Amino acid sequence: MTAVPKPLKFLRPHYQELTDLYDKWPEGELQSALADVMSVLGMTYADSGKRDSLRYRLLAPSTSEEIGNWGHEYVRHLALEIGEEHPVRLEKEQPIDDIKNLALQLVPFFLKHNAEADAVDLLLELEAIEELPPFVDKDTYARVCLYMVSCVTLLVSPDDQAFLRTAFNIYLSQKQLTQAIALAIRLDDHDSIRAVFDATDDVLMHKQLAFILARQQISLELSNEEVQECLSNTRLSEYFLFLAKELNVLEPKVPEDIYKSHLEHTRGGPDSGLVDSAKQNLAASFVNAFVNAGFGQDKLMVVDEEASSWIYKNKDAGMLSATAGVASILLWDVEQGLQQLDKYMYSSEEYIKAGSLLGIGIVNTSVHNESDPALALLSEHIESRSVPLRLSAIIGLGLAYAGSQRQDIAGLLLPLVADTSLSMQLSALATLSLGMTFVGSCNGDVTETILQTLLEREEAQLSDKWARFMSLGLGLLYMGKQDAADVIIETLKAIEHPIGRNTQVLVDICSFAGTGNVLKIQQLLHLCSEKSDADKEEGGEEKGDDLYQGYAVLGLAIIAMGEDIGSEMILRQFGHLMHYGEGSTRRAVPLAMGLISASNPEMKVFDTLSRYSHDADLDVAVNAIFSMGLVGAGTNNARLAQLLRQLASYYSKEANSLFMVRIAQGLLHLGKGTMTLSPFHTDRQILSSVSLAGLLTVLVSLIDAPSFILDSSHYLLYFLMPSVHARYLITLDADLQPIQVNVRVGQAVDIVGQAGRPKTITGWVTHSTPVLLGHGERAELENDEYVALASTLEGLVVLKKNENRAEED
Amino acid sequence: MGQGPSGLPPGLPDENNNNNKKPEKPKYEPPPSTRIGKKKRKGPDSSTKLPTVFPTTRCKLKLLKMERIKDHLLLEEEFVQNQERLKPTDEKVAEERSRVDDMRGTPMGVGSMEEIIDDDHAIVSSTTGPEYYVSIMSFVDKDLLEPGCSVLLHHKGMHVVGVLADDTDPIVSVMKLDKAPTESYADIGGLETQVQEIKEAVELPLTHPELYEEMGIKPPKGVILYGAPGTGKTLLAKAVANQTSATFLRIVGSELIQKYLGDGPRLVRQIFQVAADHAPSIVFIDEIDAIGTKRYDSTSGGEREIQRTMLELLNQLDGFDDRGDVKVIMATNKIESLDPALIRPGRIDRKILFENPDQNTKRKIFGIHTGKMNLSDDVDLEEFVGAKDDLSGADIKAICSEAGLLALRERRMQVTATDFRSARERVMKNKVEENLEGLYL
Repeated sequence: MTAVPKPLKFLRPHYQELTDLYDKWPEGELQSALADVMSVLGMTYADSGKRDSLRYRLLAPSTSEEIGNWGHEYVRHLALEIGEEHPVRLEKEQPIDDIKNLALQLVPFFLKHNAEADAVDLLLELEAIEELPPFVDKDTYARVCLYMVSCVTLLVSPDDQAFLRTAFNIYLSQKQLTQAIALAIRLDDHDSIRAVFDATDDVLMHKQLAFILARQQISLELSNEEVQECLSNTRLSEYFLFLAKELNVLEPKVPEDIYKSHLEHTRGGPDSGLVDSAKQNLAASFVNAFVNAGFGQDKLMVVDEEASSWIYKNKDAGMLSATAGVASILLWDVEQGLQQLDKYMYSSEEYIKAGSLLGIGIVNTSVHNESDPALALLSEHIESRSVPLRLSAIIGLGLAYAGSQRQDIAGLLLPLVADTSLSMQLSALATLSLGMTFVGSCNGDVTETILQTLLEREEAQLSDKWARFMSLGLGLLYMGKQDAADVIIETLKAIEHPIGRNTQVLVDICSFAGTGNVLKIQQLLHLCSEKSDADKEEGGEEKGDDLYQGYAVLGLAIIAMGEDIGSEMILRQFGHLMHYGEGSTRRAVPLAMGLISASNPEMKVFDTLSRYSHDADLDVAVNAIFSMGLVGAGTNNARLAQLLRQLASYYSKEANSLFMVRIAQGLLHLGKGTMTLSPFHTDRQILSSVSLAGLLTVLVSLIDAPSFILDSSHYLLYFLMPSVHARYLITLDADLQPIQVNVRVGQAVDIVGQAGRPKTITGWVTHSTPVLLGHGERAELENDEYVALASTLEGLVVLKKNENRAEED
Repeated sequence: MGQGPSGLPPGLPDENNNNNKKPEKPKYEPPPSTRIGKKKRKGPDSSTKLPTVFPTTRCKLKLLKMERIKDHLLLEEEFVQNQERLKPTDEKVAEERSRVDDMRGTPMGVGSMEEIIDDDHAIVSSTTGPEYYVSIMSFVDKDLLEPGCSVLLHHKGMHVVGVLADDTDPIVSVMKLDKAPTESYADIGGLETQVQEIKEAVELPLTHPELYEEMGIKPPKGVILYGAPGTGKTLLAKAVANQTSATFLRIVGSELIQKYLGDGPRLVRQIFQVAADHAPSIVFIDEIDAIGTKRYDSTSGGEREIQRTMLELLNQLDGFDDRGDVKVIMATNKIESLDPALIRPGRIDRKILFENPDQNTKRKIFGIHTGKMNLSDDVDLEEFVGAKDDLSGADIKAICSEAGLLALRERRMQVTATDFRSARERVMKNKVEENLEGLYL
């Protein structure tokens, strides 16, 4: 190429002589000048593998600027040789100080010349990424950090942690607090979060940070009361209703508005009314609960006294779910919710009372109220004699305090877990609730109790269908903790009962959630291919023993969902699994597909799901239908709606499938299309473990849908509630009152490593806030009248008047 | 797709599918448009497509992403191999295939798709004339269906049971260069700047797109080579074809002029279609002035057809659809007669001028052509190089071969200086006569 200056080209034939000459020359200025030239020549003329360029460069001491004078190509070449030299030296155990120093000279050159990727790569090769922050200034940090952060999901441990940590430090030193806190959350490090808070005294900024933390449901003790209020999401309902009012969607909807059954092609035969009407009413209760979630009013249940008769149109457990549905409608609004639920609390009907307990849990999800109504109201029923009451109280606690890691919850629930005389259903759900509460905390006490009970329980109990939630509860404790779960997995190997194995898989997949770890995926795939041997040897095994394979399939999705490439590639795997797999593998595949693109209706995915929804195995079909709802959750996607309508008429005689179609339709219109179930937020960077835990619980129960959701345990569907979040952008002024500004909303563009100052969004439309943000969409302020305190315009964003604006005009 | 009952669902007869289309319900909402009928042209099916990797610059991130894709592909391979080992699916596949064959029946009629009504119904016309409203079997790949394509029909029920792949015009496939020409860059004397320019504009974007990305510019789409006859335009294109691993399509402008109305533009479309399908590719259009002359009001239908062909070419060069990795090289010796729209930047970004060789170049060209000849000692090529004749590259080649012919006439094994001198005279005489002719007109 053109990298060697022309005069030096003529030296090519003499390269060998020059190398000899160098050794003969006496040491001194001239010799090092020669080394300088030789280094440049070595770039093209030396044989590959000799790394002459680097050798001579080290012999010729010079400054960064001098090296840079030889041109970009040369510096890059040097970086390449350093990268090659480093492992060689490590192997021979030679010192690496000199090349490291040289590398540190190159880094500023790279940074100055718009090649931040090269600088980061070089330091990565030398495993010295911590050295980067001093070289980064206010012009370069943005690009450097962007590049580093996008590398994280693809790097192996411990490089990924080092990258996050370094990027965090850079952001912190550049006062980019909202970006820093996003990384601190990813690091899962409370000290770092504290550090971000300590970095500024600005109360407004504190509030913005608290909003971000609140989305992730991290609880923190803060001195300022107002900030604490932001953190506990107290005004969530208020903001959501503001959004609903601005978007003009306050009008409640009835299930029929969603079904649009006049568009269904019903056969209209005499037998069309034969379907189980109780099941249909139950479905309608759920649809009503999902569609009007958070709006505070509906047409079936909340409106007035007489209308509450709707609840009596359901039977038994149906009443439970229907009553809990009231809570879903009043989601996040603790005061109103408790008031409405109050009248059911004293109902003579046991199931209605149970429903109201579950409802208390639901109203309190994602919201922390100071007076702790959930704890106060629910704790007394934990020891109740009635099973439904206890059950709902336990679940209610789990939902209300998901992610809060409160010790008093542990105190309430641990005895239930440890008590081996208790029915498996109660213990398992108590475990699950503990798992939700302490999600991703590795809490020692809880772990120990669960392990203990797993070891002590009798085999018959462990074979109970509810036992899986005990495993899941344990798994949730280790969400995203990676290697911290190793000890547990080893311990679990001691359990001979199949549940030991199931639990191992669950703990394993939870601990690597969102990492994209390829080795784990490989292990899981091995698990999935195992069964065929077993089948051949022993003939048909009893059902349920292949449960761990279903978990493994879910695990593929959970692990791969952390990064884009993996989540796209894993879809291909699912095709193969569907093709070759059987039993629980096949049942889990549609669920996994739904999980990986939750609230992201991509044609590719729901096309496949729609194909599976006609599968010969009815369980697979049912799961595929649910996943279609999951994929479109809260999007009002018209094409999915049409597909579901077609399914409704297709399955009009299958009560269970029809029930699921209705649920899917309800999910599709979740919150009238203002909400999302996606566990990722803040520019798809942060994985919310609480959301994922909620989704995972429902999916695990769906692997065996006929014995849970389609049976009488449909209230498990309310575990979706912690994953429900509004997908809005609301701009707030300094008093946290919503203000209207114009924003551009468009498809996000990946701008990592692009030259110049590329646009971050494409195909934008200007709206005035509040606006809804779809999957993969990003917003930016239209003009500089205000500055946003948050780097990502998502959720609640505090705006400040731009003081520099006048000067610019 | 697939919302019709595909496969055979248990217990639910699918006859309802036919009669449930008819009654119009109140408040009809138009269904979202179906995907069929718009054949996806580019690349493989989206479900098997690999994710695209950003950024395109050379960096670790790109490497990591590529490696991640590779890892996943390896996993996939491993899984499929394991499964195949455990329970071979060949039998199952064969069985399914035979079932599909049974359903298709023999013989199958060939018809053409007239109109697609909905996801599983269409109007087809058979070769015998009548048109039918028929159902499309669920196992037919609906992505391949588009109006106008040939379909296989069941012999009795006339259902669509298969799609016949329609090939592009055989003329186009002839244009694809299977055997690279022997001329390489080494056979070009001089023309250094031209070689560099064409490499930058055509080869480098195909091999190193990231360089342009880093710079933040779009690589040029095409070049035009122009200059006096015999200066090496075609030779350079040949060298490019020899060197590149991209698909090379070569066309002469006059080939695009067809007998029937509309055939020329269609051919142009097909050429670029083939080029896009085989991307990265290079399209070389020699003698572009055959169709690319300036537009003017013409009464002749033929003229207008040629102009329309050019308009199609304009559209293909910089039209609405992105063509991806297709580069265009054109060659002409009358650039001034070309339509300005054809050679505007954006369509043709680089105009490369070929001039008659200077002394140095002449020497090199002589060197190349005499390299394989048996010269006697008295030949001094400097004599010809230094002469003030206006020689083009082709003329020099002519002199050399003429000298060789003269030597052959006398059955000599060597070419002498005298041969060269008389050869030069002959060539120059022909050239001069050509030029003088103009005076008498």
